[in-house]
Amino acid sequence: MKGLLRKIFMEVRWPVLILSIGLALIMALLTELLPKVLGDIDKVFAKLPFVKPLITALLGMDPGEAFTAQMTQAFLWVHPTVLSLIWAHELMYSSRMPAGEIDRGSVDFLLGLPVTRWKLYLSETIGWILSGLFILCVGFSGHWLASAALQPEMRPGAYATFGIITNLMAVYVAVGALAFLVSCNSDRRGRAVGIMFAILLMSFLLNFLAQFWEPAKTVSFLSVMEYYRPAAVIQSGHFPMTDVGILLGAASVFWIAGGVIFQRRSICTV
Amino acid sequence: MSVIATQQLSKCYGLRRGVDDVDLRVGAGEIFGFLGPNGAGKSTTIRLLLGFLKASSGNATVFGQDCWSDSATIKQEVGYVAGDVRLYPWLTARKALQIVGEIRGRDILSDGLQLADRFRMEPDLPVRRMSRGNRQKVALMMALAHRPKLVVLDEPTSGLDPLMQDTLADCLRELAAAGHTVFFSSHTLSEVESLCDRIAIVRDGQIVVNEQLSRLKARAPRTAVVTFESATVANSVTVPDFITIQSRSNKELQIQITGAAVELTHWAAAQPIIDLSVGPPNLEHLFRQYYKGNAARPVHNAAAGGSAKDAADMEEYVPFPELENS
Repeated sequence: MKGLLRKIFMEVRWPVLILSIGLALIMALLTELLPKVLGDIDKVFAKLPFVKPLITALLGMDPGEAFTAQMTQAFLWVHPTVLSLIWAHELMYSSRMPAGEIDRGSVDFLLGLPVTRWKLYLSETIGWILSGLFILCVGFSGHWLASAALQPEMRPGAYATFGIITNLMAVYVAVGALAFLVSCNSDRRGRAVGIMFAILLMSFLLNFLAQFWEPAKTVSFLSVMEYYRPAAVIQSGHFPMTDVGILLGAASVFWIAGGVIFQRRSICTV
Repeated sequence: MSVIATQQLSKCYGLRRGVDDVDLRVGAGEIFGFLGPNGAGKSTTIRLLLGFLKASSGNATVFGQDCWSDSATIKQEVGYVAGDVRLYPWLTARKALQIVGEIRGRDILSDGLQLADRFRMEPDLPVRRMSRGNRQKVALMMALAHRPKLVVLDEPTSGLDPLMQDTLADCLRELAAAGHTVFFSSHTLSEVESLCDRIAIVRDGQIVVNEQLSRLKARAPRTAVVTFESATVANSVTVPDFITIQSRSNKELQIQITGAAVELTHWAAAQPIIDLSVGPPNLEHLFRQYYKGNAARPVHNAAAGGSAKDAADMEEYVPFPELENS
């Protein structure tokens, strides 16, 4: 396992570091800018009516209702740039093995070694979880440093922030586990990334449509964003236990299914 | 006990047959040549042996253990070089030895560096800056550094210069002399001929020959040139059944014999000849016969995705064009 983890570290260290720093900078910038932008949010809603349902979908609640100064920070955690960066890392990482290795042909090297496929899968999973934690922690540090400049009443409580980060990590785990499942069924990395990108896009679209289209509402439970509501967490101050539980439950099913498929499938690079 | 044993091993890719009813036995200390043209099923057989692919039917064992379910255990004592070596761009020979050593749970760095020296390669050069031949050397070094009981090589000499091919052959002979087994896949007859004790020829996924090289050589035809005292004698001479006349030219008679040359020398001693020249066994000719013959051709039917057109194409199929031209 140590050799496999070393190999993973050698491969992903620079992309993860660069992405983490990028995320930290963006989160710091957003922390600084969001209060200023959101001060005029009513004007934006009046001018661009479609923006409100979009933000409502992202936040999981209507930004016009009982929106406190603290809750403006919820925008940070659902900002498309933040989510895009995290998911970009996730899709690139989770599609590395086995789809990426088969695509590149290097899976022959890995499978020629005396390790079980479960061990390969587990080592990739450890790398994926650790890199996700690292990216989120570095990203959060950007927000934390920048929030020192905010007025105290605008800073969410530590417990609420912990709840949001845990919820985001659960989203990361659920999406990544699904990406692993897709990757285990594919011989082409591009195809695996494409399928996951389509799934995430559909998830966003479903969440958005559910705000004003009844048929979409009935199936909105399929959207990953349905279980990630930072504004509600800040408002209630409660840990999102149900959402995290559902996300981790789904992640477990996807991950095990991916592992079983990887264990049983024939692998051929030609 | 055989190191490698397969029984009626078959692998289908949908309707296409990869390998079909392959029966192989390779013993300890053997250098076994696995010969066949591109697409014949060599790599598929190797992938089945290493547990990359699950057999459609039949079974395969290495060291008496099942190739699919005990694959990780088997590979503790196996060194493998893939047919098309693809490595990570950041990898160097030294890092590769460290990583593989950690995975194998033994220190292979010093043995690996000795091999690197033998193969004349720089241990700290990253793969992205290596030539194809050097990448091949890294793969060979990783496969041989732990001195495995079984070495499985899928066309390992591609990209290697003749000197390095010789170095590899020396390494493999040393391993075999120490009781290790070498499974050597190739589509080049000459390297298999110079290295292997026994060979199997695979064609269209089926084993068409599995024999000691010495026996094959005994069956291979030889060409001989007999020079007579005069053109008249050369044109009128009658030959016994074991000789086939290929051409007559002035005083010379070009003939072909099969097997040992003793009978030919006895016959020639009674003839008015002034010279006799006998060539070595022509394995290429024999192999061409195996490849072009119909005797062992797999049955092509609709269920296997075959058709009348496929059969017609097969008739014109030349598996070793370089041999045809030689």
